[in-house]
Amino acid sequence: MPAGHGLRSRTRDLFARPFRKKGYIPLTTYLRTYKVGEHVDVKVNGAVHKGMPHKFYHGRTGRVWNVTKRAIGVEINKQVGNRIIRKRIHVRVEHVQPSRCAEEFRLRKVKNDQLKAEAKARGEVISTKRQPAGPKPGFMVEGTTIETVTPIPYDVVNDLKGGY
Amino acid sequence: MVTPTARRGPENSLQRKDREFIWEVAGDHLHGRRPLATTRIPTAKRRRPLFSHGHGLPPNGIVPHPGIKPNTHEGKPNYNGAPTPPPSPSQSVFVKTQKTRAYSKRFQVKFKRRRQGKTDYRARLRLTNQDKNKYNTPKYRFVVRFTNKDVTAQIVYATIAGDIVMAAAYSHELPRYGLEVGLTNYAAAYCTGLLLARRVLKFRDLDQEYEGNVEASGEDFSVEPSDERRPFRALLDVGLIRTTTGNRVFGALKGALDGGLDIPHSDKRFAGFKKDEKQLDAEVHRKYIYGGHVADYMKTLAEEEPEKYQSHFSEYIKKGIEAGGMEALYKKVHAAIRADPTLAKSTKEPPKTHKRYNLKKLTYEQRKASLVERLNALNSSAGADVDEDDDE
Repeated sequence: MPAGHGLRSRTRDLFARPFRKKGYIPLTTYLRTYKVGEHVDVKVNGAVHKGMPHKFYHGRTGRVWNVTKRAIGVEINKQVGNRIIRKRIHVRVEHVQPSRCAEEFRLRKVKNDQLKAEAKARGEVISTKRQPAGPKPGFMVEGTTIETVTPIPYDVVNDLKGGY
Repeated sequence: MVTPTARRGPENSLQRKDREFIWEVAGDHLHGRRPLATTRIPTAKRRRPLFSHGHGLPPNGIVPHPGIKPNTHEGKPNYNGAPTPPPSPSQSVFVKTQKTRAYSKRFQVKFKRRRQGKTDYRARLRLTNQDKNKYNTPKYRFVVRFTNKDVTAQIVYATIAGDIVMAAAYSHELPRYGLEVGLTNYAAAYCTGLLLARRVLKFRDLDQEYEGNVEASGEDFSVEPSDERRPFRALLDVGLIRTTTGNRVFGALKGALDGGLDIPHSDKRFAGFKKDEKQLDAEVHRKYIYGGHVADYMKTLAEEEPEKYQSHFSEYIKKGIEAGGMEALYKKVHAAIRADPTLAKSTKEPPKTHKRYNLKKLTYEQRKASLVERLNALNSSAGADVDEDDDE
């Protein structure tokens, strides 16, 4: 019989629950709220069969574009041939986690606002742009002894003694 | 007598009479037969000088091995069929039932509150799950729990950090309103539910809006939404109680409903519901709400078994509560509750904290700081004047 390419084909390990984490899923998953525009990771929970995304989307991150009673609409990029399509899928909340990809940005935004406010109070103009890491600063090498290394004249006898 | 020296193969290095002794001691249930090959004699026991006395008896006789527990397999998933000998009688010291290491490694514990038998997660999930398009709107649960001497009614909503109790009422508060005995019966549960409802509504400034059912008639009463503000909605959370008709939980529910809360319900489980007619007998329910069932029992006992009446209802007699006066008493309590449902601050002092006898667990920061200190001390004492602190 041929292999079959059903919806959940080849997902035996992908959708399996982790070791010793089977059974009831902790209620935090259900208590989380998602707003339109937030970033979320799609991670399938094999214990819940409803609202499962296709295995392609497992591990993808996208933006929320819709919120319904028990599910979230997520917009994910998928490469089809020579272009990338923005796919919109609906996924139940059990298969979704809040993404930390934008967390650093949000924190930096808050910090920058704070720095700018402080600078304004002082009357300075600061740039909060991130700079790429430049070349390392120069330094003097200290505490070294100089050892001069010169080649020794070639000695056939010694070399051959080592075995060949 | 030969002292056993071999570590493996319990019977290999021993003489026959020694082996037979072990069988005698180990297997009273074997009646002189050889034990099966699977009966393992633990190494530790074998290496004790059993035969040093020359009598062939262990020094302190046969003692039951402490900690033999029969291996129960109920409710344990991932059990991988480790060999478990049958639970041994107290005489058989050397055969120990045990859970193998492999079993323990694969064992998945249930949630803590499930292990404690306190939370039904299936029900909890369905009670706390809020529609995602309602975002942060809390879903209130009307929690009713009974202990042996108390009734607890709470309005709770769930957050990721933990459940938050908005308001609570206990039946041990009822003495304040004039009810001193019978604090766990149907009528007391009704009073507690009523107290909680009025408290919550007062807290939310809805108590003028929603009076509820002032005269408890036992009929099915649901709050009508008024024009300006919608009623306070909560969902009944029974916990692990078996929901039979006439359970006290539904007494508390009735109290909350009459108090003015909006709790979806049906009258099927109220006391007095007749399964044959599929109808609630409001008279019977009213009787229960006013403690009529207790009053009836008091009457019959007083007539037929006066001694039992004296012992069973001793507190009632002490307080001077008679069967006939039940209804009036409860009416007064209901009125008092409606008059002032606010929580009375307890005038008790906080319990004195005892001296700590064990070390307090340090936080991560504290441990790191102490490590840095110790390393600095080491460095300075060693005389090294390297100026860096190894705080990796």
